[in-house]
Amino acid sequence: MMLQLRIAGRFLLSSRAQTSLIIAGIAVGIAVQIFVGSLITSLQADLVDQTIGSASQITLTAEEDGEPIIFDAETRDAIAAEGRLAPGAVAAVRLTSALYTDDGGGSAPLSITGGLLREIDTITDLSGRITEGDSSLEDDEIMVGTVFAEEYSLSPGDEIELALPGNVLETLRISGIFDLGSAIANERQAFIGSELPRELLSWRSDEYSAIQMKLTEPFDSVETAESLGNTLEGVTITEWQGQNADLLTALTSQASSSYLIQAFVLIAVALGIASTLAISAVQKTRQIGILKAMGMSDRASGRIFLWQAAILGVGGSLSGLGLGWLLIWSFGFVPVPFSIRIEPTFAAISASIGIIVALVSSIIPTRSTSRLDPIEVIQGG
Amino acid sequence: MASLLSVSTLEKVYGTGSAATRALKEVSFEFEEGEFASIIGQSGSGKSTLLNLLGLLDTPTSGSITYRGRETAALKSPELAMMRNELIGFVFQFHYLLPEFTVFENVTMPVAIAGNKIDREMRSRVEEMLGLLGLDGLGHKNANALSGGQKQRVAIARALINEPRLILADEPTGNLDTTNSEAVYDLFRRVNRETGTSFMIVTHDRNVAQRTDRVLEVLDGELVQDVRNSYSTQGERTTAVAK
Repeated sequence: MMLQLRIAGRFLLSSRAQTSLIIAGIAVGIAVQIFVGSLITSLQADLVDQTIGSASQITLTAEEDGEPIIFDAETRDAIAAEGRLAPGAVAAVRLTSALYTDDGGGSAPLSITGGLLREIDTITDLSGRITEGDSSLEDDEIMVGTVFAEEYSLSPGDEIELALPGNVLETLRISGIFDLGSAIANERQAFIGSELPRELLSWRSDEYSAIQMKLTEPFDSVETAESLGNTLEGVTITEWQGQNADLLTALTSQASSSYLIQAFVLIAVALGIASTLAISAVQKTRQIGILKAMGMSDRASGRIFLWQAAILGVGGSLSGLGLGWLLIWSFGFVPVPFSIRIEPTFAAISASIGIIVALVSSIIPTRSTSRLDPIEVIQGG
Repeated sequence: MASLLSVSTLEKVYGTGSAATRALKEVSFEFEEGEFASIIGQSGSGKSTLLNLLGLLDTPTSGSITYRGRETAALKSPELAMMRNELIGFVFQFHYLLPEFTVFENVTMPVAIAGNKIDREMRSRVEEMLGLLGLDGLGHKNANALSGGQKQRVAIARALINEPRLILADEPTGNLDTTNSEAVYDLFRRVNRETGTSFMIVTHDRNVAQRTDRVLEVLDGELVQDVRNSYSTQGERTTAVAK
């Protein structure tokens, strides 16, 4: 076996330019494969993160609109038993609406989420998104978005009066201003403590509007919702994929087109290797004939081309990994609102595919070499 | 002496129908271990075809070739390859060296194909053989860097290295000058004497043929003569028809 490897190596070294070109060809193919794959994956991850990164991925509500869901021990146990949820990422919130009217007569509706800051943080990472002021939701405090604050020239420490349902007027002090990454959310969304909405709605302390949850893997939401639905009764479960069908269709189409590009790149790589090996097989016919005349078996001589393919595949794929990394690194300098990350597993799979494609491409030259009769070479002179 | 090779009614036909050419016609002979023979004949007489068939490079249309009691027609491709490697050494008209390898690597290629290690003993054997063939110190050179004559001598060293039982040589000295031809002939003789390796040398040159122990003459695909040369102790030569 080592002899065939040695011969394969020498054959490749004897035509250095040809070998370098095909290794470069495979490297470019694999690099494109890794780059396109990583680009699409990162783009999708970014889109998903923008869409649901600061929102609940699975939400439990009461069956009837406007009714509270009871966050009792049974519900807690069911949630705790669900392994797909991100650890601790559960927030019991009370939702309400409010109308803000400023001194100049302008008014804006606000969508209010009331809850414990440490719980809200597990879903929205509110504390991490503060641009001004502090992250705090004491009883008389409110946190508002950047757009809202800018529109009404509000700063942390300012007091605002809100009209709440039931004609209740409440004055709250702005503790912090956040940026949730979405203009609408930054204009309309506000957070307050848990108690005020409970009093407004006259609910018990275990009654909430919704229980929000996040998953370790966002795309597990359908299965997780199903599984929770089997354990919990009398609740409505919504999961983000059901709410974002259009986004998912876009993501799927994007993924399909990326697979198509990757498949064609691989086909081009395969054709490149196959044609190089076929040429090499023709170029080395005399050598193969003489090796056979000296007693090398058909199978052993065929393996020379399998080894050539393996060397080209490994060399090309490793170079491709390097080139792919370089491409992604240089993409970091392009001003786009997201960054590409290399998935080590994806890169490893791409490289392995490169090697497998190379080996498969060697089938034809390996066969033709196996079939070569040494007499054809000897008689041909 | 034990039988090395038995050839019986060997036929080789190229083409079919009216275009068919009988390159060999019912050739039969016995060849024993340790024989030193030549095959002579005009160009196109079928002697190279015969050599290729004996070398298991080509398959006969009919008839049989039996090596040490093993009928070769019954053997599968890997067994034939193994037989070529272990039993037979080839020297062709053209050297057929592998240009990607050094002289040393070319010479030891049959050893490597057999899966044997190239140890110190083998190295010194190669050095000795290269020395005998006037190729001293050329082992590390690339095969392509040699002259035509040198290449041919490397090919001869390669044929001998595995100590095969039979050397099939097709005009082995055709590209060599008189001195080198003599050296090659002497080396063949010496190997034959010391190791009992049989030789079958295809040649145009009747002088070379006369110096072998047995001369097989092929004419139009037929074996027309099979003559043994006898040597007296004084080196005087007489010729006797063997059959």
